[in-house]
Amino acid sequence: MPNCNQIDPLVTPYVDGELPAADRALVTEHVRVCAPCHSRVTAEQAVRTLIQARKSAFTAINAPVSLREKCADLARLKPRAPLSSAVDAARGALAGPRGAVDAAQGFSRASADDGRRFSGAALWRTRLAPVALAASLVLVVGGAFVYQITDKSSRVMVAELTADHVKCLALNRMLDTHDAPLAVESSMLASFGWQAHLPEEPARADLELVGARPCLYGEGKIAHIMYRHQGRPVSLFMLPNARRTRELVEVLGHQAAIWCVGDRTFVLIAREPKREVEQIASFVQASLR
Amino acid sequence: MSASFEAEALASLDSLYRTALRLTRVPADAEDLVQETYLKAFRAASQFEPGTNLRAWLFTILHNTARNRFRDRARDTVVIDSNAVERAADVAPFAGASASGPETPESLLLRDTLAPELQAAIDALPDTFRQAVWLRDVEEFSYAEIARMLEIPIGTVMSRISRGRHLLYEQLQHLRPVNA
Repeated sequence: MPNCNQIDPLVTPYVDGELPAADRALVTEHVRVCAPCHSRVTAEQAVRTLIQARKSAFTAINAPVSLREKCADLARLKPRAPLSSAVDAARGALAGPRGAVDAAQGFSRASADDGRRFSGAALWRTRLAPVALAASLVLVVGGAFVYQITDKSSRVMVAELTADHVKCLALNRMLDTHDAPLAVESSMLASFGWQAHLPEEPARADLELVGARPCLYGEGKIAHIMYRHQGRPVSLFMLPNARRTRELVEVLGHQAAIWCVGDRTFVLIAREPKREVEQIASFVQASLR
Repeated sequence: MSASFEAEALASLDSLYRTALRLTRVPADAEDLVQETYLKAFRAASQFEPGTNLRAWLFTILHNTARNRFRDRARDTVVIDSNAVERAADVAPFAGASASGPETPESLLLRDTLAPELQAAIDALPDTFRQAVWLRDVEEFSYAEIARMLEIPIGTVMSRISRGRHLLYEQLQHLRPVNA
């Protein structure tokens, strides 16, 4: 007669019907005379039966349609050989190297991974070289459509956002809107499911909240929150489901601070000195989630 | 990559998403995790051995990716020492096993536990046990497949399933009406 310690590792496969006949008979015999082991088998069996009975409620959860479309798109992003046109070549270069995988893996990681990412970026540039001109065009025009999963240059992204920054704030100046922080936060929640917590006392950093709107970028909406810093325009963009390296980029005479929290990327843009932008970004970052 | 590979891989989307949701508990993170899984899978399609279980292969990528992410975020989050939890579960008294009477513990549990309660109890399990129970009892993978996904020995897979089921049993016993 085996003791309880010998039976113990057999209980789960016994309940799951995974034991060979001989072991199965051994457990059956043991639990017939051993109350504690019998209880163990009974409890495990009860939970297993319960999960089986209620499983349909769990398996009724389906992936969102938008996710299905995105995943199907990923299959189409695969590089194809031979490359038949400049567009295909650029797409291949975008999707080919591991840079894309790294992009999807999130950039707010330890420096140990930085080298890997840089080597990905180098490969990216090398592959792009033969079709540089055509590829650059495709990047600028079509890059926005794959921004979530590619290693697209931050400069291109910032250039697009800077254009939005100039346009939206010019419009804002004309309309002279002033939204309350609470109104902005609730519109962020409604539009993006984002429980934004804006800086409570923006005046401490010489900031004044003037408005917010959803902007179109790439394949979806992004949030655009507008401030004025000592009267001059400052934009804060939030890109949902995007991860980027923390960096400071200068484009079109504007400074952009990029950072990432979870799966949201934030870009703060202003035509101010680098140090000033860094300070504003740190102030905003401290309270935003 | 063939069209059939793509179609077969995408057929697992719902179960991958469900599992990602149990892992991350946040829909946006789950979607992100699933996208990354497919990105890697399509890219590594040539490494898949035809004739083996594609769904299990995708689940392995999903769990590897999730582990890497948790590792990256470990600095910012409180990590539960799963070994300590396992040891604690080892010595925890196993209550509720003395149910007697005409009804079996199995039928009582079935009668008294609805899907939302079961879901909440599963969600409340420590990560290691939740993963093991979920992969076995909901997604119905073999011990060997789960061992590959979680990168643990088969014996550990079985003990985690066992601990997970017992913790669930105890928790659900507490939820049952007093006079049931």
